[in-house]
Amino acid sequence: MESNQESRSLIKASVIAFAIAILALVFFILPAEYNLDPTGVGKQLGLTVFNENQAATNTGAQGSSEKAPGEQNSVVLTVPAGKGIEYKLSVQQFKKVNYEWLTDGGEIYVDLHGEPAGDTSGYFESYAIATLPEMKGSFTAPFDGSHGWYWKNTSSKDMKIQLLFDGDYIIEGLK
Amino acid sequence: MALASIEAFAHGVDSSTRNFLETHSGVQIIPFMYIGAKHMVTGYDHLLFLVGVLFFLHRSRDVLLYVSMFTIGHSVTLMTGVLANIEVNAYLIDAIIGLSVVYKGFDNLGGFKHFFGKQPNPKVAVLIFGLFHGFGLATKIQEFQLPGDGLVANLLAFNVGVELGQFMALLFILLTINYWRKHESFNRFAKTTNTALMSAGFMLVGMQLTGYFIN
Repeated sequence: MESNQESRSLIKASVIAFAIAILALVFFILPAEYNLDPTGVGKQLGLTVFNENQAATNTGAQGSSEKAPGEQNSVVLTVPAGKGIEYKLSVQQFKKVNYEWLTDGGEIYVDLHGEPAGDTSGYFESYAIATLPEMKGSFTAPFDGSHGWYWKNTSSKDMKIQLLFDGDYIIEGLK
Repeated sequence: MALASIEAFAHGVDSSTRNFLETHSGVQIIPFMYIGAKHMVTGYDHLLFLVGVLFFLHRSRDVLLYVSMFTIGHSVTLMTGVLANIEVNAYLIDAIIGLSVVYKGFDNLGGFKHFFGKQPNPKVAVLIFGLFHGFGLATKIQEFQLPGDGLVANLLAFNVGVELGQFMALLFILLTINYWRKHESFNRFAKTTNTALMSAGFMLVGMQLTGYFIN
């Protein structure tokens, strides 16, 4: 009799644990983590927002609305001594970006490259690798994704870079 | 060329860690220890499992014994996993880690003893789950795609960091549980706590399996 009761209590505990887990998964965790929202509750609670934002930056779907056409952007970046930085734009396939940059302290290693959206393997394609004090040019994105510059300052003092660019993109900024 | 490869392995890592990897190579004891410790302290799956393991242990000898079994388990697979370059799917490993939490919660509720007449050797169980947790850690650190230069020393440092992080986490968990044990509510809520533990474990399993199937 006593054993029966314990069985029942154990089964009850397990079923409750499982049920709570399923509810939490369906309503909160899956919508927030994977944008899987069969009930729509996740969206109503605003939990799917993480993935929506990511999708927007990855595909550049909202690009044109964020920036007037022909507008030029300008940033000044600091590359600390002995360090590398990345500055990225989210660009859709076949969209063009014009750019120009120069340093305040001579030559710097640069790798202009793109990473396909959604890729997790670490693949990237370089469009230009050089060590220069300044550079001017343009590129047309061969695929949707994150495109931009990696600069590495091998000198012993910090370097500033002024970067000007325009075209069709969303700014992802410093990485 | 060297820089291009540095670039490649820096992808998919959080920015500060990545910055570190971009600008350093060779033996880096302290940073790797820090990454290991951080991973342990912020790894809620490991922490939940430890809560389950420690819940009914009140003799320090037992605590030491069980924690050592767990440590031996995860150190073995962490080192062999990385050195032998064994790539296990992170989602599946993390699902098993979730399952370890469910297992320990059910075990604490007396489930195995009741349904099967006897409890599977809990020390062996902790060792086995330790092995899985180590594979989890190995998968995480393999994502860094570490250069061969100084790999063993860095791995050892990472492992030491994991133990330090575990030690800090243990200290907090033990203090809390021991303090709580002195109160009557401990026994009253022991069942609820372990049920909650099981539930959290199920959530981890569900989350990781979903990740596995959609990715």
